[in-house]
Amino acid sequence: MSARRRMWPIVARREFVERARDRGFQVSTAITLLLLVGVIVVSAAFNRPTSFDLVVVGAGSEVLGGEVRVAADALGFEVKVLALPDRAEAERAVDAGDADAALVNGDAIVVRDEPPEQLVGLIQAVSLRERSRQALVAAGLSDEQVDAALLQRPLPVEALEPVDARRSESATVAFVGVLLLYGQLFAYGYWVAAGVVEEKSSRVVEVLLATLRPSHLLRGKILGIGLLGLLQLLLIGLVALFASNAVGSLEFPSGAIATMGVVLVWFVLGFFFYAGLFAVAGSIVTRQEDLQTTMTPLTILIIASFIIGLSATGDPDSTLAVVASLLPFSSPLVMPTRIVLGDAAPWEVVASLAISVVSTAALIPIATKVYSRALLRPGRVRIRQVLRAGGD
Amino acid sequence: MPGPPAALELIGLTRRFGDVVALDDVSFRVEAGEMVGFVGPNGAGKTTAMRIALGVLQADAGEVRWLGRPVDADTRRRFGYMPEERGLYPKMRVLDQLVYLARLHGLEPDDARSQAARTVERLGVAERAKDRAESLSLGNQQRVQLAAALVHRPEVLVLDEPFSGLDPVGVDVLSEILRGQADAGAPVVFSSHQLELVERLCESVVMIDRGRVVALGRISDLRARDTRRLVRVEVTGAADGWLDGVSGVRVLERLTEGAIVELADGASSSDVLDAARAAGAVRHFSIVQPSLSEIFRREVAR
Repeated sequence: MSARRRMWPIVARREFVERARDRGFQVSTAITLLLLVGVIVVSAAFNRPTSFDLVVVGAGSEVLGGEVRVAADALGFEVKVLALPDRAEAERAVDAGDADAALVNGDAIVVRDEPPEQLVGLIQAVSLRERSRQALVAAGLSDEQVDAALLQRPLPVEALEPVDARRSESATVAFVGVLLLYGQLFAYGYWVAAGVVEEKSSRVVEVLLATLRPSHLLRGKILGIGLLGLLQLLLIGLVALFASNAVGSLEFPSGAIATMGVVLVWFVLGFFFYAGLFAVAGSIVTRQEDLQTTMTPLTILIIASFIIGLSATGDPDSTLAVVASLLPFSSPLVMPTRIVLGDAAPWEVVASLAISVVSTAALIPIATKVYSRALLRPGRVRIRQVLRAGGD
Repeated sequence: MPGPPAALELIGLTRRFGDVVALDDVSFRVEAGEMVGFVGPNGAGKTTAMRIALGVLQADAGEVRWLGRPVDADTRRRFGYMPEERGLYPKMRVLDQLVYLARLHGLEPDDARSQAARTVERLGVAERAKDRAESLSLGNQQRVQLAAALVHRPEVLVLDEPFSGLDPVGVDVLSEILRGQADAGAPVVFSSHQLELVERLCESVVMIDRGRVVALGRISDLRARDTRRLVRVEVTGAADGWLDGVSGVRVLERLTEGAIVELADGASSSDVLDAARAAGAVRHFSIVQPSLSEIFRREVAR
C-alpha cells in the first residue's frame, strides 16, 4: 500500500465513468447530435440556389421563356422551362403546384395564388423589353438603334457595408458555439451541484470522508465531470464540422476549426469558474428539491451572460459586449464571439483569460471551504455562518 | 505496569458544537482482537467520538492513536467504518461502489475488484452485485453497507449502530462476522443502545453519558464491582403495589408481572419471597446479577 496516494483521480474516474454510462446521458447526447446534423442538412437544402418551374403555352411564349431562363441565370437563380400544348393543361400544372407560373401566348401570366415575386418580376421585365423592342421596330428604328436603346448595362449597386462571406459564416459558427457553451455550462454545472447533493442526501459522503479529504473529493468531482463535458463538446463540434463539410455548407472550414478551439478553451475557463459555485450551491442543501433555489443566482448570471453573448454576435463592439467579455462570469459566453468576429484586441483576449484564471484560482479555495464545512451539516446551511464558524 | 500500546486509543477527546459540549475528555482503548461495545443514550456523544476516530470530524482537543502512533489519513484508510447514517450511492451498481470504496481505501484496481467480489459473496448479496443500490431491499442495503466497511480488509473496525434495523437472522450473521474480525486480531468497537446484545457479544464496554465516559472495562469486572443484591420476582394474580409494603426493598425495574428489586443492607431475600407468596402465585424467584442496563443506570445516577 503506497503511503501517499493521490485520491482525486480515483474520484474523477468514478464521476466520469458513472455519468458516461448513464443511459440518459447517452440518449441526450445522441439526440443532440441527431438534431445538429438535421439542422445542418436542412439548412444546406434551403441555401441551395432558388429554382422555379415555368410552363409556357402558345406562340411567342417559348422564346420569351428561353430569355427568362437566360436572364435568371445571370441573376443567380434557376428557371426550368416546360412547354405544354394548351392553356387548360398549363392551368392544371400550376394549380397542382407542379409549376410556379405559366406564360400563356406571351401575353398573360397565370399563377395559383400569391405570385412568386422573383419569377413574375423577371418575366415582366423580359416581356417589357421585348414589347418595347417591337414598338421601337414598329416605329421604324433600325436593329442597331433598338439594341443601343435597350441593351443598357444595369446600374451598379454600391453596398455601404459589403457582405463578408467569411465573416458571416464565422458569425453563424460563433452563434452555434455560444449556444453550445451555454447549454454545456448549465448542464455540467448542474451535474456538479446535483452530484454534491446526491452524496449529501444519500449520506454516502460520510463513508467517503472517512477515506479522503473534502477538497480531494471536490477536485475529483469537478475534474471528472469537466473532462466529460469537454469531450462531449469536442464530439459535438467534430460531428458538426464533418456534417457541414459533407453537405458543403462550410466555405471556410479552417475558420470553423479555429472557432471550435476557442469554444473549447472558454468552456474549460467557464466550467472551472462556475463549478466551484455550483458545488457550493449543492453543499448547502440536503434535498434535490432545494437545489433550484440555491442555484438561482448562478442561473440568472449564466442566462444574462448568454443574452449578452447572443447580442455580441450582431454588435461585438458594444460597450456592454466589451465589458462582459472581460468579466469572469460572462466572458465564456461573450469572448468567443468577439474573437471569432475579429473584434477583440489581443490584449483584451489575454486580459480576459488572465482575469478568468485568477478569479477562478481565488474562488476555488473559498468554495472548497464552504463545501467542506457544509457537507456534514444537515438541512439548509447559511454560507456566511459556515465561513465564520471555526474548525469543520 | 503499562502494557504494550493498545491497538486503538482515544485519548482525551473533547469537542464542542457552539455552546454544546458533545465530548468532554473522552478516553478509552480497544485492544487487538477485542470487541468493545460503546453504549449510552441518544445524544451521549457516541457518533461524535466515532466520527473523530475516523477523521470525519476534528476534535477540539485530544487525539486518536493506533498501535501507539497518532492516526493520520493514510493509516485511517486501513480502518473500516460504518456510519450511523447509512450511505450508498443510490444509482451506482453494488459491485462498482464496493470496488470504488476499496480503491479509496488504497487497494490496487485488481485487488479491489477481487475483494469486492469476495465480500458480496461472503455477505450473501452476490446475486445483486450488478443491481443499483436503490433497487435492493433495506436488509440487503444494510449488508452492502457492511460490505463497504469490510471490503478493504480493514485492520480496525468502527461501527456506529451496526445492529439497528436488522432482523434476528441479520443480527446473528453480523455478530458472527464481527466475532470473526476480532478473532483475526482486529480491534472492533461498535455502538449500540441494545444493551443485552452488547452484553452477549462483547467482553468490554464503554459507557458514555452527556459527553463523558461514566464507566468502562470488562463486563465481568463491572459486574463484580457492583455489589448490589438483586432479586427477580414474578407473581401471578398479585394486586398492584404489593411490593410497597416490603421494607428494605427498592424497585429497579418493573416487569409485566413482577419486578427486579434491590435489597437494602439488612433486608433479606426471604422477606421478598414471603411477601410474594402472600400476594399471589410465585412463578419466578431468583437472585440475579445486575444487567448492563442496571449498571449503566447506576453509573449515570452517580
